[in-house]
Amino acid sequence: KMEYKLRKAEPKDVPDILRLVKELAKYEDMEHQVALTEKDLLEDGFGETPFYHCIIAEIQGEKSSEDPNVVGFAMYYFTYDPWVGKQLYLEEFYVMDKCRGLGIGSEILRHLSDLAMKTRCTGMMFVVAENNEPSVQFYKRRGAEDLSEEEGWRLFRFDKTSLAKMATPAEE
Amino acid sequence: MMDFSIRPANVEDCKDIARMIRDLAEYEEMSDLVKITQRDLEQDGFSKNPFYHGIIAEVSDQHRSQDGHTKIGYALYFYSYSSWIGRAIYMEDLYVMQEFRGNGIGKALMSKVAQLGLAAGCNQLNFTVLDWNKSSMDFYFSHGCFNITTKLGYHCMRCEGEALENLAQP
Repeated sequence: KMEYKLRKAEPKDVPDILRLVKELAKYEDMEHQVALTEKDLLEDGFGETPFYHCIIAEIQGEKSSEDPNVVGFAMYYFTYDPWVGKQLYLEEFYVMDKCRGLGIGSEILRHLSDLAMKTRCTGMMFVVAENNEPSVQFYKRRGAEDLSEEEGWRLFRFDKTSLAKMATPAEE
Repeated sequence: MMDFSIRPANVEDCKDIARMIRDLAEYEEMSDLVKITQRDLEQDGFSKNPFYHGIIAEVSDQHRSQDGHTKIGYALYFYSYSSWIGRAIYMEDLYVMQEFRGNGIGKALMSKVAQLGLAAGCNQLNFTVLDWNKSSMDFYFSHGCFNITTKLGYHCMRCEGEALENLAQP
């Protein structure tokens, strides 16, 4: 039986985090969209002001001398809803195929929900692609509400080019 | 052309921010959902680790609103992270009091958020809009953004209250 444990990510985990990010992107057919590098992840997650936090799921190899394997992770940060306050935002959540069905995903979610409550967040938020049926069901089964469907929220984005245009001050 | 200034919010602005948050919620027909207080805003925005940042649009006394306010617009934002491209900035609220619209104040607030985001190394500015809010959507589209819910099928989800408590149970 596979033993696993959850822990806070450390700088040494950055290569594994990027590996898993790319694996998940591949699963969503979007591998070419991952522009992040290990250097970015290191600076952004373990510098003076972290932009994200990460928890890692790792299994022990069969022989006690083998290195533990990082088989799952969750990337999150704190956001703010001006109506109800702090929220925990779940940016990325993934368990490797070979380790599914062991309850690792549920345990990660439980750990984050507990953290959300301890830090006095009133909710945990995330985004799901509507055609990702297994994920949509996974979350709805656990009581998640689809705000896009129920309240009509649409997610909008300015990418880098439009962002730069908008940041230019108006002509006098 | 009305003169206005855009500046970072400070703790004394929280009273007006709370007022305008409620105004915006009313405009979005969801004012009964506002639970936040001025005190929450002070603690959450101006302690050692702020959970949000604010920008205020202000006019001079001679242009104050019918109700006597000079702080007549705001934006709330925070930094977020995309596991694909890294640093991003999220604009949570953007609001200008009705009597001051049409003067470029909304654009100026959004520009400021964009500037701050770029200065912090962000690659995206994200926010949400209600699907019936056509005037806002037109405003945003005219500045070059796109609708990710439509384009990629992304839905915003939330787990709160009892559902969150149940999830936290061992």
